[in-house]
Amino acid sequence: MKELQLTVLSNQLIAKNIYEMQFALPNDLCIKSGQFLSITTGSKQHLLRRPFAIASIEKDVFSICYQLKGSGTQSLQEVKVGETLNAVLPLGNYFLVDNGYKKVAVIGGGVGIFPLLAFAKEYEKNLQIHSYIGFRSADYRCKVDDFQACTKTTFTTDDGSFGVKGNVIEAFLKDFEKENFDAVYACGPTSMLRALKESFKANSIKIPCFVSLEERMGCGIGACLVCVCKGENADTNFRVCKDGPVFKMDKVVL
Amino acid sequence: MANLNVNICGVSFKNPIIAASGTFGFGREFQQIYDISVLGGISTKGITLEPRLGNDTPRIAEGYGVILNAVGLQNPGVDSFLERHLEFLKSKNTVIIANVAGKTLDDYGKICEKLYDKVDMIELNISCPNVKCGGIAFGILPESVEEVTKVAKYASHSTPLIVKLSPNVANIAENALAAESGGADCISLVNTFTGMVIDIYKRKPILANNTGGVSGAGIKPIAVRMVHEVYKAVKVPIIGMGGIQTAEDVIEFMLAGATAVQVGTANFTNSLAMPMIIENLNKWLDANGIKNINELIGKLELN
Repeated sequence: MKELQLTVLSNQLIAKNIYEMQFALPNDLCIKSGQFLSITTGSKQHLLRRPFAIASIEKDVFSICYQLKGSGTQSLQEVKVGETLNAVLPLGNYFLVDNGYKKVAVIGGGVGIFPLLAFAKEYEKNLQIHSYIGFRSADYRCKVDDFQACTKTTFTTDDGSFGVKGNVIEAFLKDFEKENFDAVYACGPTSMLRALKESFKANSIKIPCFVSLEERMGCGIGACLVCVCKGENADTNFRVCKDGPVFKMDKVVL
Repeated sequence: MANLNVNICGVSFKNPIIAASGTFGFGREFQQIYDISVLGGISTKGITLEPRLGNDTPRIAEGYGVILNAVGLQNPGVDSFLERHLEFLKSKNTVIIANVAGKTLDDYGKICEKLYDKVDMIELNISCPNVKCGGIAFGILPESVEEVTKVAKYASHSTPLIVKLSPNVANIAENALAAESGGADCISLVNTFTGMVIDIYKRKPILANNTGGVSGAGIKPIAVRMVHEVYKAVKVPIIGMGGIQTAEDVIEFMLAGATAVQVGTANFTNSLAMPMIIENLNKWLDANGIKNINELIGKLELN
């Protein structure tokens, strides 16, 4: 991990309230899917940097995607092409793939879909991937073509305005019996991940499931102990930024 | 190159920049970004007698130019610190300050007995606002400040004792005097100010702990004022902190009376904040014709 000045190459609206920000990829920087960066908002009023999953990693360019939510993302949205933002990256662990895996499912909701897109692109040649991607409604849909290009896709929306009406967990469970997945990779709102964990229990699903978690962070590098999650083992706390953000689902309390 | 070396209670710091407790862990993570031996010193994450898991999350929130934290003293306990972390810290060429917190007087005594002579200095945290019995009980009234200082001083033997003061008090100078008469070799201030940020849609505080400690750029003028009040009141050296982001901020604290400073929140804004401040301190002193940084300590001239 390095402290760097990143040059903004683009900062564009890609769906309702959702922006993609591209950066020039600094030399010698190796980023794996599942990792994230912690980046200044570009405004001095914010002392905290914001953590965002890496959404794409190409030869000279990489990107993050963010949803307008508060004053931090509002500041980010005002950043102009060519400006630089300081950031520390790459942070955290990444999605692990066992050599024996042939077919996996990715399950994503909301802004949780972005690290999964990076994952799908990284592994499209090695794995058969079925992605279950949930949006609130058609207005929020994004990266649809990208997911279609590297995975078999099922899209869902809460109101049925795009793809299947319903949620991604229902869609995944419907296919689970016939699909023979070796593992699941999931990222989304905590409520979604909690429901996923419960559905694994309820349906006695035993395959490995990796979840990428989100938490308000301080330093982003593991020093300040702000972004912890509870381990299933009662006397353990994990640091989301350093021990995660990707965890085996059965090891953490959601 | 100006002389940046400062001396506190016989401990020599190569420069006056110390990592503030709670923002720097035990140094391992920042070592992956830069060599932490460039720092004057490191105050460790607050250490308690037994391991602690800390508060629920969210543990952090933000205001304009400030942050709030309510970590709740998550730490592995003093024995684990000694076994697993001290050797790494000692391998770095920097002053190691163990920051300690307790629930009872007895805790403070026991923990200092375990740490004395093993670290360069001990910093007494009697001001953590985020734990019901994380020391704050001792940090408010001057009588209890003096009492806990006495216990810790006795148990620290010849290892210099710093007492870190809470700013959430009626009269900071009185508490500094109480620490001094209890035997404190040095005073550090300020710890964080108790604050709250509310999510207006949920009508709930953002922090799981409801309140948290406010730190960062926005508190600096209050911290500078308090450092100066304490400087006028006590004879022991002072380590100042509160919102330091730049070399100029350091100069301000030193003019107000600090011999050294701690940098905390700025480490979150930029992980290279402290090495940059050290570099810029050198430049500032050179540009202003100051050969020795000690010349600045307490040189504030009031209007």
